[in-house]
Amino acid sequence: MKVEIKNWHAVAQWRWDTGVSEANGMDDDEGDVCGICRVPYEGCCPACKIPGDDCPLIWGECTHVFHMHCLLKWIGTTASKQQCPMDRRTWGQSVPIFSSNTLSSFCSYC
Amino acid sequence: MATDALRAQVAAKWQESFSRLNQNEAGIVGLLNFSQAWNIARECMRPRGLDEPDPQTQYDKATFQASFELLNKCRRLPILLETFLDDMRNHFPVIKQEVDQYTLEYQNTLDTTHILNLVFRLLQWYNKWIPRQELGTTLQSAFVLSFQTHMFSILSPAFVRGFQALCASTLPPTDPDAIAPEPNVKMWEAFETLGLLDRYENIIASVGYEHIEAHVIATCSGQWSESMLPELRKWMTDKVVPWMLLMYGRNATTADDAKAMLQNVGSRFDFHMAKTLCDLRTKEIFDIIIDFPDSSGALQDLKECLLRVDQRAALVHTLRKANHKRLLHPGADTRLILSQYVATIKCLRIVDPPGVLLFKVADPIRRYLRERPDTIRCIVSNLVGDDDGGDSLVDESEPIQPLQQSELEDYTDPNWEPEPVDAGPDFRANKPSDVISTLVSIYDSKDLFVKELQVLLAQRLLAITDDNAEKVEKERRNIEILKIRFGEAALQVCEVMLKDMTDSKRIDGHVQSQKTSIIHPTIISKHFWPMLEATEIVMPGQFRALQEEYAKEFSTFKPDKKLRWLPHLGTVHLELHLEDRTIETDVPPLEAAFIELFSEQDVWSMDDLIAKVGSSVDKAAALKALLTWVDMGILKEEGENTFKLLEVAETSTPREARTVSNAAMELPSAPSVQQQQAEQMRVYWKFIEGMLKNLGSLSIDRIQAMLKLAPGYDQTVEQLGIFMEAARQEDLVDVYDGLWKLTPK
Repeated sequence: MKVEIKNWHAVAQWRWDTGVSEANGMDDDEGDVCGICRVPYEGCCPACKIPGDDCPLIWGECTHVFHMHCLLKWIGTTASKQQCPMDRRTWGQSVPIFSSNTLSSFCSYC
Repeated sequence: MATDALRAQVAAKWQESFSRLNQNEAGIVGLLNFSQAWNIARECMRPRGLDEPDPQTQYDKATFQASFELLNKCRRLPILLETFLDDMRNHFPVIKQEVDQYTLEYQNTLDTTHILNLVFRLLQWYNKWIPRQELGTTLQSAFVLSFQTHMFSILSPAFVRGFQALCASTLPPTDPDAIAPEPNVKMWEAFETLGLLDRYENIIASVGYEHIEAHVIATCSGQWSESMLPELRKWMTDKVVPWMLLMYGRNATTADDAKAMLQNVGSRFDFHMAKTLCDLRTKEIFDIIIDFPDSSGALQDLKECLLRVDQRAALVHTLRKANHKRLLHPGADTRLILSQYVATIKCLRIVDPPGVLLFKVADPIRRYLRERPDTIRCIVSNLVGDDDGGDSLVDESEPIQPLQQSELEDYTDPNWEPEPVDAGPDFRANKPSDVISTLVSIYDSKDLFVKELQVLLAQRLLAITDDNAEKVEKERRNIEILKIRFGEAALQVCEVMLKDMTDSKRIDGHVQSQKTSIIHPTIISKHFWPMLEATEIVMPGQFRALQEEYAKEFSTFKPDKKLRWLPHLGTVHLELHLEDRTIETDVPPLEAAFIELFSEQDVWSMDDLIAKVGSSVDKAAALKALLTWVDMGILKEEGENTFKLLEVAETSTPREARTVSNAAMELPSAPSVQQQQAEQMRVYWKFIEGMLKNLGSLSIDRIQAMLKLAPGYDQTVEQLGIFMEAARQEDLVDVYDGLWKLTPK
């Protein structure tokens, strides 16, 4: 017997590729949350309504990941002293470690 | 012994009496005259037999009058009257005999003519015996009183029954075609003369009432389409009023006079008619509501009757009882209960605009609906137009408006009105709000509805298989309408879901343009969709290849994202090439996975199949999937839990290959709100496990207290108890003396 697939209507979820999960076997169902607003990465920051490309993440050199809007707001305050809120190292945006190394579309939202 | 004085006194008395009777005539002439006059008078007034000649023939008027004057002068008239009444009493047995005879005949034949004859016979006796007019009213009224007393004393209960039947026979018939009996004026006059009318007034009235009742029930039962009251009133005027006129308006000379006389009794009859109709409609109210809006006439009647008759409590009672008996039981479909509830709302709003009746009737229904698990789902599916052909609860012509909250009364409103008198203490003056608001207000919060709406929307969106933009558009329109009701913010999540649908299509378009694939996924945003049951199926063979390939393309397009498949959702359109036939079908992924495995190997045991696709698939689901193929004649069960591929169709089971299996038509399952709650609880299992590990055994209150520290924990201690019980059944924990501890691994 030969099975030929004519059409497959599948369902999938998208996840942010935070670089850590699958490699470290940490890919649990809960997903990780933004260290500032405590909302999952796949959710959106408190100011946004639509998740995904409209409320992207930002990757720090210190490997901490936040909702971009949350972090920018934090950096915008004087109290932040331009530091990462998690480890108080000076914040620097890193080029994320993607599983695929194409970076073409990354800059579209910076 | 007697003294002289006494003797003299007696003599004087006697002398005085004597001279009065003797009228100072010489000798005893006066006395003789007196006794003659006495005899004439007595003879005149003696109660006679019907065949005896009247006294007038014996004595002329002058003699008679002279005798009476004489008696009067001697002051003997009272004695005469007494004698007369005594005579009458002595003669009454004759009448009694006749009365008994007539009554007996009536009892034997039940023919009212006997009663009628009896009445006329009595009238004859009465006329025979009644003293002459000129003897004055004292005598006459004494006679009438005495005659009636004797007469009523001999009339038996059987006569009363007969009399009732006789009255009834004079009524206009209920059948409009039959000819009304000629009004028997004489009979009514006889009744009047004999005093039967006054004595039996109740009976006559009850005859009238019964007649009205019979007519109302005959003409109005089940006639709900139009208002019956005007017709009934006309019938009253045409038929019943002339009848009443014979009795109550007999002395009337002019029309106005008659009207005044009938006013009182007429309004009593009208009241009775309204009451009968009201009772009838009250009895029928449940069916009237079912028939709504075809029964609006009956509702109008009921409204008018209720204004006249105070039957509101009875109506509420009857309807509540009917609802309890016919509606609020496990056999009734929730949709049916809802639509009946909506009809009840509409009907009672007609009958009683302030809504007191509705409030009283609706309360048990609402309480019952609250207990039903699928009420919300029913309401929501109705809202999104998901009903399979059922009537929509909502009237489409009704304007869509935001949900109304019950608000505090505005006492500054110049049109403010107090609550109706029979409103209970917990009556809330519900502004006539729309039906949806009322339905939603069954529950305390609208969040439940929004959640259910989300689940339902998810099911429907995922069921859209082909690239059907119109269907998504339709859902979007629905959501837009619902936004008006529930508010923008509440439905934000649905908005994201719809956006995911269009985004998926755009992404798919892009990915396909890079590298065509036959897999067209819907990519969803995890936190904005209801929690979908997570069973991990590892798709075998070419399916896995397809998934990986697509995921790679996706990551190329969106380098910061990756795909995580939900392999148990969606549908696969397959074409199976077997040796002798080709079968095309739509199946859920699990089915597709199994048949893919069969293309590698002809015989599989079920356990092996499950092991191949990942052990999270439970046996029931696997069996169902396999049976789908068995139904299509592609697999065959050989021995227990072993299936074999039929490369060549078995002739013994010539089944037609169905192009679409039922299983494929089913909507992808999304757990209901309750399941989701259990799912949420699972999140806290880690906390519980942790605390039990660190602290040994804990009581449930202690666990609850500690969980309260966890973010977002909102379960009650009862819910926690249920969850712990479930955990115990899974052998995760153990309870001893109210203390929970982990089961040692």
